[in-house]
Amino acid sequence: MSLTETQSAPQERAGPDWDLIRRRAKSILVHGVVLTLVAIMLLPLVYMVMMSFKTSTEIAQDPLGLPNSLYWGNYMAALSSMGYVRSVINSLGITLSVIVVVVFAGAMAAYPLARMQNRISRVIVMVMALGLATPNFVTITPIYVIFRDLGLLDSYLGIVLAFAALKLPLAVFFYTSFIAAIPMELEEAARLDNCNNWQVFWHVIRPLLAPVTATLSLFVMIMVWNDFIYPLLLLTDKDKLTVMIAVYKFVGNTGIDPTKLFPAAVLGSLPLLLMFAVFQRKIMAGATAGAVK
Amino acid sequence: MRARRSLYLFTIPALLVIGLFFIHPIILTFEMSLTNYKGIGEAKDVGWRNYERIFTRDRYLTEIWLTLWYTVIVVSALTVSGLFFAAMLHRLPLIRNFSRAALYTPAMMSFVVIGYVWQFLYSPLNGGINVALRDLGLGAWEQNWLGDPSIALYSVAFTQIWMFTGFTCAIFLAGFAGIPEEINEAGRLEGASSWQRFRYLELPLLGPSITVSVMLTTIGTLKTFELPFILTKGGPDGATRLLSIDIIDNLFGQYKFGFASALSVVMLVIVLAVAFVQNKVLRDREHTS
Repeated sequence: MSLTETQSAPQERAGPDWDLIRRRAKSILVHGVVLTLVAIMLLPLVYMVMMSFKTSTEIAQDPLGLPNSLYWGNYMAALSSMGYVRSVINSLGITLSVIVVVVFAGAMAAYPLARMQNRISRVIVMVMALGLATPNFVTITPIYVIFRDLGLLDSYLGIVLAFAALKLPLAVFFYTSFIAAIPMELEEAARLDNCNNWQVFWHVIRPLLAPVTATLSLFVMIMVWNDFIYPLLLLTDKDKLTVMIAVYKFVGNTGIDPTKLFPAAVLGSLPLLLMFAVFQRKIMAGATAGAVK
Repeated sequence: MRARRSLYLFTIPALLVIGLFFIHPIILTFEMSLTNYKGIGEAKDVGWRNYERIFTRDRYLTEIWLTLWYTVIVVSALTVSGLFFAAMLHRLPLIRNFSRAALYTPAMMSFVVIGYVWQFLYSPLNGGINVALRDLGLGAWEQNWLGDPSIALYSVAFTQIWMFTGFTCAIFLAGFAGIPEEINEAGRLEGASSWQRFRYLELPLLGPSITVSVMLTTIGTLKTFELPFILTKGGPDGATRLLSIDIIDNLFGQYKFGFASALSVVMLVIVLAVAFVQNKVLRDREHTS
């Protein structure tokens, strides 16, 4: 709050500065109102956490009240029967592999697109834009058929490549605008030293992409971690399920039993929420990257 | 010059992956949409019959209409709610970053988790919303939120709006940050109220952010599948049966791969057409204003 505009006139001594007091009160009121609205928006998540600690009798008697004590039994039951640890490992493995493919192939593809504008690059950019707009359930039928015929159903390789194809357009757009802002002089200096294209990319461009790579990786991580339809249809082996499918199957099979639903919801979101708490700034930068340009 | 052209070799890994698992599937979708393929066995060519069926049956036209209507509701509400929070938070730097992150939290959670939690909130018996209404003495407002065909679509839409308000708010806050402080300063000296400054100074300058936000939310909302799938499975009585729900139902409920593919092609054409028209209209508006 900047209070620099308020004139303090010591010689007047005309009692309290009503104008200042009024403005302060108004400011506190506005802050209070907005914070209350934000808190209301968070209520469903608070409710989710609260419910996860209640016993079934507590839920039946007082559905909105605070839990009497932190009852961990729900979590124990969920952990032992939803294959949580296994599914977290699967999700992490798939997510990280997708990030590796998307970051490398995306940065490489973006380099020529950022440096050359002609018919070829325009066509490639159009393909990417098509990729951004296409709903993933539009391509799921043929992917299912292709995977079945290639024996890629239930394979990590298959789902990683399918996800990579889905997220690459975003990566290419991310990197293209970023590389376009890198001064040509840096490259030209390297070329004078007889660097070839690959050496320029690897030694000049790639190191400069670190900050945008971090943002992009977090963003891809959120999307792949949360995705539902691809792993639901492409992975059926119980040992290969991702976290979200584990949540879906665990909750779906028990007919929305709150003592199962809420701990599963918390467990499914926990890794991402922790990540968000740590990398909040970078994730927000990714969310608004398109708006700032 | 030859060295430069060979730069295109760099696009090969990406194009290979996209070609195999994105372009190729889209072509296959179109091919399958002209057949009666059932997932196994021979696919018989049926010409444009699948498409004829889609465009002559009320049922599918209703689904297309529902999908568009749902998108209109969600996108307009998201624009207003995002603008509201952004305009407030822009004026309150003390709580801006914290609130922005808090509002964004639902947007980075999974549709599955959000869907289940809201299914319970909406549930008619012990669900959070009805119980809260009862406790507040508003028992008369209790509803069967997802079970009543006249409100189910709006209940689903509300969940999506709640989820993504933080997303549009973040985009608009980035837009606000790009407005030079002098403009507001000048407005303040002229004695413009907070609302007047928003309406006549900030809002016109937010044009580009509004374009981006509307386009991103429109494409995202047209694609909506998970929320109605988890919340209502398209019911009650088809009230939330969006095009996406029908595609998946035809696919993995009835194994009508050919017909589902035709629906997918229709969906893709709608998304591309809307994105194209919107891009054109919004960009033009930006340039003339």
